[in-house]
Formats: sequence, C-alpha cells, structure tokens
Amino acid sequence: MKCPPFDLRDYFLKELTTPQSAQVEEHIQSCLECREEFDQLRLTEAALFTLREEEIPQRIAFVSDKIFEPSPVRRWFSNFWGSAGRLGFASAAMLSAALIFFSLNTANKSAPVAKKSEEAAVPPIAAASLTEKQIQERIDTAVAIALEKALTQSKDATRLIADLRHENELANAQLIRVAGDLEDARRHEKNQKLLSAKVPEVGDAK
Amino acid sequence: MIFRAVEDADLIRQAARGNVESYNLLVSRWEKRVYNYLLRITSNREDALDLTQDVFLKAYQNLRKLDDPARFAAWLYRIAHNEAFSMFRKRRPETDVDELEPEATETKVTVGGSSVFPMELSLAVSGALGRLSAEQREAVVLKVYQGFKFEEMAEILSCPVSTIKSRLYTALELLKTDLAPVKGRVS
Repeated sequence: MKCPPFDLRDYFLKELTTPQSAQVEEHIQSCLECREEFDQLRLTEAALFTLREEEIPQRIAFVSDKIFEPSPVRRWFSNFWGSAGRLGFASAAMLSAALIFFSLNTANKSAPVAKKSEEAAVPPIAAASLTEKQIQERIDTAVAIALEKALTQSKDATRLIADLRHENELANAQLIRVAGDLEDARRHEKNQKLLSAKVPEVGDAK
Repeated sequence: MIFRAVEDADLIRQAARGNVESYNLLVSRWEKRVYNYLLRITSNREDALDLTQDVFLKAYQNLRKLDDPARFAAWLYRIAHNEAFSMFRKRRPETDVDELEPEATETKVTVGGSSVFPMELSLAVSGALGRLSAEQREAVVLKVYQGFKFEEMAEILSCPVSTIKSRLYTALELLKTDLAPVKGRVS
C-alpha cells in the first residue's frame, strides 16, 4: 500500500496524527483504489462491532479482609496469623519468655551466692599468711582443749562406774538381809507349828 | 472525556493503602471492559468470569508495584493477558502458545436479541475471529474493541510495536476477506 502518503491501516486504526490523517483523507478523495480499500476496512469494522459488549454475569466486589491486603508483608502476616503456624509461634514465644525470665531470676539469686563464696574464700587466704608457729600454737591449744574435755569425760565415766558398783553392793547387802529375814520367818513358823502339835498329848495324859 | 468525581488515580492510591471500598469502585469501572476482553480471547463466559475475578484480585494484591497510576489500564490488561495465556498453557501444555486457538468454533460468542444486525452476521464475525491465531485475535480485541494505542498494546503484550502492527495488519486482511463481503451482502 504505497499509494497514500501514510499507511491506510494506521489511519483506519487511528494511529496517525491530525495533520497526517488530514493528508490521508485528502488522498482518499482523489484515489479510487484507496477509497475502496478504506471502505472494506470500515465494513470489516462495522461487522466486528456487531459483537456488542456483554454485561458481566456477576459483579466483582471484595470484602475488607486482611488476606487481600495490597502489602505483601501484611498479607503474609495475615496468612501466618490465620494459620496453624500461629500456634507454633505462640508456643515458641512463651518458651522464650519463660527461658528469659528463668535466666534473669537465676542470675539475681546466684549473685549473693557468689558473694558468699567469695567471703568464704577469704579466710584460707588469711590463714596462709600466718606463721607456722602460730599455726602450731593453735593446733596445740585445740589439742589441749580436746584432751581436757576427754579427761573430764573419762573422770565422769569412772565416777559413774564407782557409783554403780556401790549401788550394786548395797543392793546385794539388802538382798542378803531380806533372805536372812525370810529364813528366820520360816524357822519361826516351823517352831510354832511344832508347839501347837504337843499341847493335846499333854491333855490325854491327864 | 467522561467526568468523574474521583479519578482512577485517586482510587488507586487509596486502594493501595488498603481501602477496599475505593478498590471496589475502581473494579466497578473496569470489570465490564476486562470481562469482555477476556471473553473475546477465550470465547467462554465461565472462563472469562473466573479470569476476571483472578485479575482483579491479583491487581489488588500488587497495586503497590504500580508506579504510575496513569498506566493502570495497560498494567491491568497485562495481568489479564498473563492470566488468560497461563490458563491456555495449563489446559494444553504440549501446544505452543502461537498455535493456541480458542473454543470459538465450538462455543460461539453470540449477541442475543439484536434487531439491528442479523444473527448470521454475528456468527460470521465469531467464526472469523475464531480463525485468527490467539495473538492476532488478541491484537484485534485490544485495538478495535478496547481502543488501545500501539504503544500500550506493546506494553500489555510485552512485545515490540512492530510485532503488534504485523499481527494487526495480518488479522485485518483475514477479517476483511471474511467479513467485508458478508457485510456488503447484508447491507
């Protein structure tokens, strides 16, 4: 299509500028071939427009749901928050919180313990600074005190044993005395029986 | 130019901030056009409706990626084009997209109750469009029915303007052969 100054199809498709279109229109008036070509294009267009636009069978509308969020981050968060992963996240968060709380609490409590152990560690260091003589004196003193305590306890034990022996002797004497008394009582009872038996014989003799 | 109390650009900005009501208003302005575009290239009302819903959902979720609200139309049709051709590939993955044909020959797109144009002409148009390749038909739909410029079509279809022109010119020749005599006969 070299006849018109510009492509007739571009003119038909409304892609030319106003001056260009004016030149084509002027050409069509004088060129029978181009006019017939252009008429055919217009007939084709008219035929195409017999297919009219249809109404959409169902209107499209969106509800205010976070899952349709334009922001990918917010949409991801909405999906995540509405999914089973939320439970896992909540569990992990609670576990983390518990661990943090426990670690902080333990740290607070362990501080005084550490202090105490530091204090306890001081005396040995001080003891190390004493002379051997002083240490020996302390040992001797401690041994003397221990011996004295042991002797006292031994004396007490000896005294206790002596007391027990004395009480035992007293108990034996008491027992012998009781046994003697019992023997005397039996003998006396026997004599009484014998005396009571001799009285009738005297009467028969009369 | 149609005067609108609230421009699309304002609605886009509000919708990008999560205002669903603004987006619904925007959808109401564009849903019919997008549906008809998809209906022309799929020749199936159910597919066209499903795709339209998918298109507007995807558009809403990606609104923040739209740098220039003035390019909303081309951007929206780009999504629609991708959704439609993705569906074509899923249904016939073994077929090259260039060879894809709609179901127009089986399920004709018809206009019911038209008293101005005879039914046979509508059928002839449907048949003629159905004989075009998917790319040629889409080019015709975007240019003739949707009124996009070559540059916008190139953006929607992600190809050079020269390719767009080639597809359109070839499609016009084929359609002219099929429809111009028919129209002339009816007239």
